[in-house]
Amino acid sequence: MRVQPKKKKKVDIKREQAQKDRMKKKIRKLEKAAPEMIPIEDFITPSKYSESNRVRSLPPLSFEETERRVLLMKKWSLYKQKQDEAEKKAIQTLVAAQQEALKELRLESEELYQAAIKRDEGLFPFERDGPNYTPPLPGYDPPEGKCIDITKVYTQ
Amino acid sequence: MEAPIAGHCGPRGSAMAAPGQRAAAGWGRRLCTAAAPRPWRLFGALCLLRLPRITQPLRREEEEMAALMGQIELEKSRYSDHEIRKLEEEEQLKRRKESMYDDDEGPGKTVIMAQDLEDKWEQKLLQFKAASRITDADKNNIRTSLNRKLDSNLMLLVKQKIGNQELWLLPQAEWQAGETLRSTAERAMAIFLGDHIQAKFLGNAPYGLYKYKFPRSIRTEDNMGAKVFFFKAFLQSNDLSQAELKEDYLWVTKDELGGYLKSEYLKKVNQFLLDL
Repeated sequence: MRVQPKKKKKVDIKREQAQKDRMKKKIRKLEKAAPEMIPIEDFITPSKYSESNRVRSLPPLSFEETERRVLLMKKWSLYKQKQDEAEKKAIQTLVAAQQEALKELRLESEELYQAAIKRDEGLFPFERDGPNYTPPLPGYDPPEGKCIDITKVYTQ
Repeated sequence: MEAPIAGHCGPRGSAMAAPGQRAAAGWGRRLCTAAAPRPWRLFGALCLLRLPRITQPLRREEEEMAALMGQIELEKSRYSDHEIRKLEEEEQLKRRKESMYDDDEGPGKTVIMAQDLEDKWEQKLLQFKAASRITDADKNNIRTSLNRKLDSNLMLLVKQKIGNQELWLLPQAEWQAGETLRSTAERAMAIFLGDHIQAKFLGNAPYGLYKYKFPRSIRTEDNMGAKVFFFKAFLQSNDLSQAELKEDYLWVTKDELGGYLKSEYLKKVNQFLLDL
């Protein structure tokens, strides 16, 4: 009668301690593992779009069509190159005109020049509503409604 | 800075005899005594720009390219849910017609087809009327209104009296001692447009310069000519009903400037105006 309770205590204590050690090891392993990356939803194509019945059936392109496309691409690259050169030239004239004005201002008076080359703190951040396709309609009453945001938010 | 004073003041005396030695006069003036007269009068002028409100029409190459990009995107894409629904319903309709109504649903059941939805959306779009891109001011060429040419930059021109001539100029004001040139430009804006206009000035530095000599009749040793420094600002407030415009004014685009400004002035102004 006196011996049995002792055995129970020892065995229990040992078993409990072994269990605790195992749990701690598991926790340590989980913590050591690198945090899972947040998936970028735009880069993953949902699998339902790779089914075969989704593929569009269009007639193949004719030879003239491919030729036209290639020539159009070439014309477009030339057009964009000219546009880029014109923009760069315009920026250069802008900078040259400003440099000349600052040079003349310096000749006039030093303190005005120093005031002119100071950084303008109120300029940035600069915000502007971009141009739309049609001008705003005066007296327009937009329809009522609520916008519910359903973007998924991940936590690491 | 103190040492070269004597050296510069010396040649200054002799340089003033030769006309057109503006640079030497400038040097001498700066480094000599504070009471030295400045032969150049300073003006601060303001180029107030109203930014475009609508997009510019696409050019021919841009339109062709946009069409091509749309086609390529269509070819590379897959069917969307709506399109699949439409195709299935078309097939169902075909089968019903061929098999002569032997379905158990019965023709009385009202099913909303994808095609009906599309028609409904089309109708809703047609009901909405957007404002037109070409306004009344465009059609009647009212140059004093801000609603003209909504797709390009408009700038303010005022008629000012210089000497004894009335000229069309960018609004300018004479510089007074104790203020920076940018505040001169702001004062010019307040003079011509009133106090309630909001404009965002682009930086403290001038964008351009117009230098001219006075005609020989009024040219003195102290007053050879004037330098006009241009500053740029974007117009923020949308309507100018509160503005008290005292003189004649116009809002013009860059191409129309030629009809109002003199050639030398125009050349300098065109240098700092971006062609959209």
